[in-house]
Amino acid sequence: MKHPLFRFLARRLAVSVLLAVGVTLITFTLTNLVPGDPAAANLGQQALGNPAIVKQFREQNGLDKPLPVQYVTYLGHLVQGDLGESQQSHRPVDADLAEFVPATFELAGAALVLSLVVGVAFGVIAALRRDRLVDQFLRVTSLAGVSVPTFWLALLAFYFVFYRLRLAPGSGRLAPTMTPPPHVTGLYTVDAAMAGQWDVFAGAVGHLALPALVLAAYTIGLLTRFTRSAVLEVLGQDYVRAARAKGLPGRVVLLQYVLRAALVPIITVAGLAFGSLLSGTVLVESIFAWPGIGQYAYKSATNLDLPAVMGVGLVVGAIYVVVNLIVDVLYGVIDPRVRSTT
Amino acid sequence: MPSLRSVPRRAILPVLVASAISLTACSGSGSSSSSSASGGKSLVIDTSFNLKTADPGRMYEQTGLLVDRALYDTLLTFAGSDVGKPVPALAESYELSKDGKTMTLKLRKGATFSDGSPVTADDVVFSLNRVRDLKGNPSFLLDGVTVKKVDDTTIELVSPKPNPALPFILPNPALGIVNSKVLQAHGGTQGADDKAESFLNGQSAGSGPYVLESFNASTQVVLKANDKYWGQTKPTYGRVVIRNVQAPTQKLNVQRGDSQIALDLSADQAQGVGGGLQVAKGASANVFFLLANHSAAVSKTTSNPKFVEAVRKGIDYPGLLQLAGEGSVQAAGIVPSMINGALPADQAPKRDVAGAKAALAASGIPNPKVKLEFPSDYTLNGLSFQPLAERVQANLKEVGITVDLAPAPIATALQNYRDGKEEMGLWWWSPDYPDASDYLAFLPGKLIGLRAGWKKGDAAALESAGDKAAQTIGDGRTQQYQQIQTQLNAAGPITPLLQPSQHVVTAGTVTGLALNPVWTIDIAALGSK
Repeated sequence: MKHPLFRFLARRLAVSVLLAVGVTLITFTLTNLVPGDPAAANLGQQALGNPAIVKQFREQNGLDKPLPVQYVTYLGHLVQGDLGESQQSHRPVDADLAEFVPATFELAGAALVLSLVVGVAFGVIAALRRDRLVDQFLRVTSLAGVSVPTFWLALLAFYFVFYRLRLAPGSGRLAPTMTPPPHVTGLYTVDAAMAGQWDVFAGAVGHLALPALVLAAYTIGLLTRFTRSAVLEVLGQDYVRAARAKGLPGRVVLLQYVLRAALVPIITVAGLAFGSLLSGTVLVESIFAWPGIGQYAYKSATNLDLPAVMGVGLVVGAIYVVVNLIVDVLYGVIDPRVRSTT
Repeated sequence: MPSLRSVPRRAILPVLVASAISLTACSGSGSSSSSSASGGKSLVIDTSFNLKTADPGRMYEQTGLLVDRALYDTLLTFAGSDVGKPVPALAESYELSKDGKTMTLKLRKGATFSDGSPVTADDVVFSLNRVRDLKGNPSFLLDGVTVKKVDDTTIELVSPKPNPALPFILPNPALGIVNSKVLQAHGGTQGADDKAESFLNGQSAGSGPYVLESFNASTQVVLKANDKYWGQTKPTYGRVVIRNVQAPTQKLNVQRGDSQIALDLSADQAQGVGGGLQVAKGASANVFFLLANHSAAVSKTTSNPKFVEAVRKGIDYPGLLQLAGEGSVQAAGIVPSMINGALPADQAPKRDVAGAKAALAASGIPNPKVKLEFPSDYTLNGLSFQPLAERVQANLKEVGITVDLAPAPIATALQNYRDGKEEMGLWWWSPDYPDASDYLAFLPGKLIGLRAGWKKGDAAALESAGDKAAQTIGDGRTQQYQQIQTQLNAAGPITPLLQPSQHVVTAGTVTGLALNPVWTIDIAALGSK
């Protein structure tokens, strides 16, 4: 039980709870600093002119109470797992989130896997072929991936791949004539595979491919560049030369000596990249009409839908905390030195 | 470093294979056919959602009007684009008493809800009372109106004051008739304690040509043809999917054939659609206007009538129309062109730079400087406020007025506007119902009048003209509303600017499309060739 990993995890979890409270406080304060009235944003013009309706709206949403009371009430409900009701959708925020978070998770997750596989592969190839044509090409490509604005790339990709080349299906998560698979995880690809609905699975993968690739463009570029420099650095180390001198096969040297040592900075970047993937979803989701948390967050923020904004803040905060936790644990797995010091 | 190259060469293969697999996995599945539908033809409509609920008692958003128009029949309705004359729907006829206070409607026999039960007078009373007493966004439509069942086929609506607008209000989809028995079984009441909204977002309870298959206020709404529809003409499309899609994506979707209707294209976007697509266009009923606060406490500048005159004469109206694109028209008065009582186009304000400069000189304000507030994150019929505001700024600079632009997100900008604290504002008004009386809100002491700092008593003659028009029944109405607008144009704090164009692009196969200022399009009226 006294395993260092458990102590490490326990400490991190305790910090995470504090972080979550901090997230609620900051989101709550910021949202209330905005000079605007949720009633004005959510009621119609005529309804706004009727004081009785405005009063009822405030009472229903607890906006008639002083701010500290509103905050404490919110926390009280939160402890019971109640995130409140969205003023926009008139539904419980947790029901909204349960629907939109998996969509974004599927998109960002696919983009992350794509970035890791392609980015690391490109980085390794570029390092091994340093200063040769392949390297030059990959360096320029990765630079383009990092520099091109996501919304522009999304529009362009949609125009060419969907409209001109007719290679990708339309916007959204599935063709409008298809019924989504039975809800288990909320990830259409996984749910369809579990239900054995292979036509739906193919449709879901097809719809996922282009937005995921667009979203991944930045992180692929980023990972290619970081992997390249990390691998180059390790390649110059004495122990790599020693391994090679021992006559070990090239594959063993690359995978067990070079890549493992280079993985620490790569994982750090990948963790950070996940953050940029999440923020990139707002734009990509908008252009591909992907019903995810990015669109939900934007709509909620512009309508001063406080419970929804808080809910999104909490979820994104939690994702960051979990991703950081995973990164920290992976350090320990990859690098024994980290394990002994924690 | 030659040795480096030789060692890992064999190791490149697995890396390449891995990346190749990931790439093919992502690009492998091509386009999927979107033509397979269960039962009848299917139709995909793309629109940028402004939607909260499908519950007619609470619904008052553009996309909600489109959806509920297909799900719920109303007592009266409008045919096609013509909003000048209400026509029978669930009521086969109506009569307005001479004093304009009592409206008597005869219910049609044989109309049924989607569960097969007949539409009764009790359902009508329940539905209308519910909308009025829910204190929701559409409640104001029936403010003060008493709903009475006279007998099984007769309904009486009694208003405290003459209410000649009522026949134009009743077609609003918010006043759709719901199945009261079904609703009551699911928490529906006639008051603020009603709990039927979530039920109505899961399935519909109306007598309209469609029923609700699924509803999601953020992604898509699916309608299914009502098998038991009582009307003569059954809907052509068996299944209708309405998706939330932004305008640029809408355009590509309809061009590629992924959808059949794109509802929110701007004039520029609609121009280049080409190949086999149809474009329905017309002036929208939304009116953009400029507000100059009448209250001296808010601004010493804009409260000066000569300054407002300079603004009105300084605007280059044709230039604004150029910006708004083909199909947009100048708003001659605050009442849009398709509503009875609108001012004829030749009476619209015109640019007169010399006159504007003279008015400015007469105002006695040297080098006036004003702040113009407007919503920066909102587009209406594909038109953003920012370029319009910039054009106004440039126009007024020629006259000698310095305009500071103060854009803000709509939720923030609305606050100042609503509180009547804006010095100048650029806003819009969408009709609540297609009757000129809706625009009395612009008079002193009324909703928008107050936002422009125009208090009750500030223009007594105009106010009494408004009160009189509100109660006039018959032919004199049109002239009265036109006179009111002439006076508003001459001395009011509001300067009507333009009605943007509205463009709906459809596939070549879609027929029967008519633009309607209340519900945009009537899905059930669409045909196919």
